[in-house]
Amino acid sequence: MDMFLAFLTVITQPQLLLLVGLGTFAGVYIGAIPGLSVTMAVSILISFTFSWEVYPALALMVGIYMGGVYGGSRTAILLNIPGAPSAIATAMDGYPMAQRGEAGTAIGVSTVMSFIGGFVGIAVLALAAPFVSDFALKFQPRDYMLLAILGILLVGSLSSGSLVKGIFAGALGIAIGAVGRDPLTFTERFTFDLQIMEGGISFIAVMIGMFGVSEALLQLHHVDKTAVKQKISRIVPSLGTVKKHLPLSMQTSTIGVIIGALPGTGGDIAALMAYDHAKRVTKNPSRPFGDGAIEGLVAPETANNAAVGGAFIPMMTLGIPGDAVTAIMIGALFIHGLNPGPMLMVDNPNMFWFIVGALVMANFFILLFGLTGIKIFTKIVEMPRSVLIPLILLLSIVGAFAVNNSVTDVYWMLGFGVFGYFMRHYGYPLGPVILGVILSRLLDDNWRRAIISEREDLGRFFSGIFSSPLSTVLLLAVIFIFVSQTPLWRVAKTRLFGRTGSN
Amino acid sequence: MDPDYRGDADHHDGTSDATPGGYTKERRPGELGFAVIMALASLYLLWSAYGISGFDALSAPGAVPMATTAAMAISALVILVKTARRPKVTTETLSRDILPVKVIVFVVFLAAFGALLIPLGFLPTAALFLIASVKLLSDRGWGFAIGVSLFTLLIIWIVFRIVFSVLMPAGIVPEAEILQFFRNLTSGGAA
Repeated sequence: MDMFLAFLTVITQPQLLLLVGLGTFAGVYIGAIPGLSVTMAVSILISFTFSWEVYPALALMVGIYMGGVYGGSRTAILLNIPGAPSAIATAMDGYPMAQRGEAGTAIGVSTVMSFIGGFVGIAVLALAAPFVSDFALKFQPRDYMLLAILGILLVGSLSSGSLVKGIFAGALGIAIGAVGRDPLTFTERFTFDLQIMEGGISFIAVMIGMFGVSEALLQLHHVDKTAVKQKISRIVPSLGTVKKHLPLSMQTSTIGVIIGALPGTGGDIAALMAYDHAKRVTKNPSRPFGDGAIEGLVAPETANNAAVGGAFIPMMTLGIPGDAVTAIMIGALFIHGLNPGPMLMVDNPNMFWFIVGALVMANFFILLFGLTGIKIFTKIVEMPRSVLIPLILLLSIVGAFAVNNSVTDVYWMLGFGVFGYFMRHYGYPLGPVILGVILSRLLDDNWRRAIISEREDLGRFFSGIFSSPLSTVLLLAVIFIFVSQTPLWRVAKTRLFGRTGSN
Repeated sequence: MDPDYRGDADHHDGTSDATPGGYTKERRPGELGFAVIMALASLYLLWSAYGISGFDALSAPGAVPMATTAAMAISALVILVKTARRPKVTTETLSRDILPVKVIVFVVFLAAFGALLIPLGFLPTAALFLIASVKLLSDRGWGFAIGVSLFTLLIIWIVFRIVFSVLMPAGIVPEAEILQFFRNLTSGGAA
């Protein structure tokens, strides 16, 4: 009963419902405007909402997250520019549909499919998370350590950059997180005897720099691009269309939830994988894939919204983020004095059910905002970049400064912004850096707990791992990711599957 | 559209967290230099991590930092070797495609913002920043730049000062007094 009341909190308190709605609305536009990303928006928002209560702050962030993942599809369809990373796959068939004058249908289908996918994700979250967290209470420190490593590696390997660069980025993140005085022994780490380094580097400054400033600097290359206008016809799709694609949407939603729930991987990867899946299983697409097949729109749109619910599973139950946005939300919970992990579900189950409720409402808002207001939408998206870029930079500065009221953080933000700018240019993924920063403490603490409990003996540590099925699976997964990226694996694969194996 | 395709104008040039920019087969201008700096920095950090507690104990405060900086150093060296082997992109130059003047100017703007924030206060600094950058980026006149900037700043100030109650340095603008003046005005009117 308590749980049900907590679930309904968002509806019984109108101001929370309003914040979810506002967040979703803002999210749809933030997701849609190329150059503004959800990761950027949520990282800037942390510093603005940290004086708020937890629930309103979370309501706003959940709305933005959900809306943003959906919003990216709009510009993908209308302009062939995915407004958010999770909409990259949507552009492949969405834009061809728009070119044929079916932009309205495409938007309608993507809205309804996002809604369906979103619900599958939330349902799985609500059903699975309590079990996962019960199970997680049995996790040993070494399991947390392995999960953290797995999460950082997964982002690096599943995103299409090179794994070595992913590992470099992840390790860099862990190192950044270690700067300052060690919480257990007060030994100085990477402080170079500078006083400003002793307190560590504000992770919010790192995040805003990497996702806000570096993105804005990159956008400076494309200031002169103008938007192409599309005519939009009928939006609400027929029931027949929805019914016809329901089986596929269930499959791709499942893919979305699983990928979302894997630590570290989010909607962008889920969408690309679902698109591949749709290509494989659809025998007779409405049109060839890439020419405007509705199936090519259904798959990524269900998957990326289903991934949202999925991403909350490891975040709420293990304290390990499902993707970059949930990594930032973990940061937000820390700031509000909460410690995400299995104990959060035990001590504070209402928080979990509140988030589930907020996600449900955000999903309804998507349907509402998705099927209406398309005229204003095209106006806002055409906002000139010459105004947008300075605005992002200004918001980044306010955000970085406001957390600690310190100019030092502004310079950290600027430094990491410039650094992230080069990383983006040269193909280093940024996701692992943020994951590393967030997971640094967890990794360090759990490693030390694990090795101390094994009396500093590596042999005992490894025999401990192999005596537990869970630890063994986790270790094997970590090893598999490494091996799968080496030439050795390619040779083995060609031997096993003949020459047809690509890569 | 090939999801692995990198480096086109608008969406795969690193604007996504999942598909970073860069090319898979070629090396962009300055990429080798960046790789060298990363490798040297990683080695320096490894040495610094060794300095924390050396090979004291597996649970020592320096253990994880040493492991991570070692991972950084090894991967940075692998990246360096791989990058050095690739042919250079012939169609790009450092000053045009990687670090155009505009980007440098904006980094300077941001640094100046940080320096002026406390002495001058948020509102004047932000106004100067917005006007200068909008003027620089758009082809429109001063009227447009000043108008748009002041309007945006007003909205930002209302949202953050009043809705989010974020306090920025007041500097030379008597912000609190102005706010109080309006509060008195509205409460006076109500009474």
